[in-house]
Amino acid sequence: MMQNILEIKNLKKWFPITAGLVGRTKGYVKAVDGVDLDIKKGETFGLVGESGSGKTTLGRCILRLIEPTSGEMIYRDQDITKLKGETFRKIRRKFGIVFQDPYASLDPRQTVKSALIEPMIYHKLTQNHEEAIKKAKDLIKRVGLNEDHLYRFPHEFSGGQRQRIAVARALTTDPEIIILDEPTSFLDVSVQAQILNLLSDLQEELDLTYLFISHNLSVIEHMSGRVGVMYLGKIMEAAPKDIVYRSPEHPYTHALISALPIPNPALSQQRVVLTGDIPSPANIPSGCRFRTRCPYVKDLCAEKEPLLETRQPGHLVSCHFDLKLPPPIPILETS
Amino acid sequence: MAEESLIQVNHVKLDFHTYAGEVKALDDVTFEVRKGEALGLVGESGCGKSVTALSIDGLLPENASVTNGEIIFAGKNLLTIKKEEMRKIRASQIAMVFQDPTTFLNPVLTIGEQIEEVFLLNPEHLAAVASRDDESENKTISNLSKQQQKRIAKRLSIDVLKQVRLGDQDRILKQYPHELSGGMRQRCMIAMALARNPDLLIADEITTALDVTIQAQILELLRDLKRDFRGSTLLITHDLGIVAELCDRVAVMYAGNIVELADVGDLFANPLHPYTKGLMKAIPMLDRRMNRLETIQGAVPDLINPPSGCRFHPRCSFALEKCKSVKPELLHVSNSHTVACHLYDEGKP
Repeated sequence: MMQNILEIKNLKKWFPITAGLVGRTKGYVKAVDGVDLDIKKGETFGLVGESGSGKTTLGRCILRLIEPTSGEMIYRDQDITKLKGETFRKIRRKFGIVFQDPYASLDPRQTVKSALIEPMIYHKLTQNHEEAIKKAKDLIKRVGLNEDHLYRFPHEFSGGQRQRIAVARALTTDPEIIILDEPTSFLDVSVQAQILNLLSDLQEELDLTYLFISHNLSVIEHMSGRVGVMYLGKIMEAAPKDIVYRSPEHPYTHALISALPIPNPALSQQRVVLTGDIPSPANIPSGCRFRTRCPYVKDLCAEKEPLLETRQPGHLVSCHFDLKLPPPIPILETS
Repeated sequence: MAEESLIQVNHVKLDFHTYAGEVKALDDVTFEVRKGEALGLVGESGCGKSVTALSIDGLLPENASVTNGEIIFAGKNLLTIKKEEMRKIRASQIAMVFQDPTTFLNPVLTIGEQIEEVFLLNPEHLAAVASRDDESENKTISNLSKQQQKRIAKRLSIDVLKQVRLGDQDRILKQYPHELSGGMRQRCMIAMALARNPDLLIADEITTALDVTIQAQILELLRDLKRDFRGSTLLITHDLGIVAELCDRVAVMYAGNIVELADVGDLFANPLHPYTKGLMKAIPMLDRRMNRLETIQGAVPDLINPPSGCRFHPRCSFALEKCKSVKPELLHVSNSHTVACHLYDEGKP
């Protein structure tokens, strides 16, 4: 049994909606609304969901780039939710993050060298400047660029190269966990494959744990060991990826996976098309939050919110009913 | 060729003037869209697929200049006809739906005003509809009052909204774009295109801005429409899954060239061009398991200084000496499969 490196318990992030001159709160956008999750040492946990499902907010809460409203985050038996100052700084360096847009996440006025050295200095990780440069050189080579690139500015790089730099920067503090927030969605598919392979290699070499956030179901399937499916701020289903993709038990997971067009004209897909749109996280339906779009909805769903329960060891589902759903996609080859 | 062609794009070269230099966006693009077919145009960003669409629809920006080639539609070259004539073609024969419905719907007009306008611009059609309804009287444009025209336009608008499976049409006609969700707006854009009953529908990345479950709704709609729609479709996308599902033939573009063009079954079963092959292996797909993705080395080239010869040669692992200097022509390896690559010979797959 692998050790849990990070446990998230009932985490919530509600953004207040204010109105009027005095800023009276008239409601909340419940971006993350009670998430339970544990991430094991060395794994890649894939978090998938549509826009507005709260997956990015959750990622940012873990680093406390956004302060969560309530809940607990436990890193190696230590509650990090409320830590402050120097104690938090020491823990924070164990977490890295790679953002979606490499055109926005790198400072255009900072050379690559300076971007890589700054975190080391802030966290007092190196004795002197030479040592920091040596480490920066090592990192830039690890991500597939070369030493000359250290002295350039971000505008001199392509999107794929920038994302490599962002990965190198996330590695500067020797983190244990890296939050990858849609790391390839800005890249072309031929470049995406390079970055995905790089991330897999680094994980093996440096014994990293990944939380991989994406809306791209194929990328999540390729990268992850376990997958969590988010909808309107909550996890609907979490399980090893084969269960999620081959035999999901939550109707949302099922519809989501069957909705993906598969690049194979020989396959005939049985697509489940959900009606309607995703409700606003400011106005979450009562009971089960998926009930407004669920093809199997019953009266109970409006009254009572289902809990995320363990169906089989490692397979968690948040649904009142044990629906016998067919496989969402036809499978041809496995190589 | 057995199938009749609707539009022919012949040897089109197109440059964009920018401060950094001439961007050679299209380099000798040749293909045809046949009557009634759905042709997919796939490629990564910057490969020229949207520019191709814009040049067909006569919507090229000011800084674009076509240096060679022609686009023949109904006996006319769309690249040289007058603006007014192009406008007429856009009003009835070639319709385009764009990626982002938020940008292309007018925010200060209701959906109704925007869809009805399509019909009101075509009074002959309104007159024809009016006389069909009321056979006792032969309506012409002159004896159809403005109010009657509006009434018919509204009725036809409700019909097209039904066609794109939007419920409560009366209310939607009165709403403004911001009151609708992304999926509904895209349906309205499709409705506006269908309202013209076009011979050619150009769909440029129409599901890219949408969520997976909403994309599924639109794909389902397109699949249904394909059954009734008699015209041709040019579907532009970067998603091979969408192509596999909706298209009859596919053209693969790379850096301003069409590198491969084939029937959809052929292309997926037997991709020939090294770029197409690489692309298919580089994408994680749900119907197969791979431990490691194969990559195409390097990045998409800068089109101000495109590589000489075959534009793919610096990234190609099969590149020959010839590839560096001689640009390969599209050649038929079989009746339904053409490829632009020196590795292949005419007539031999």
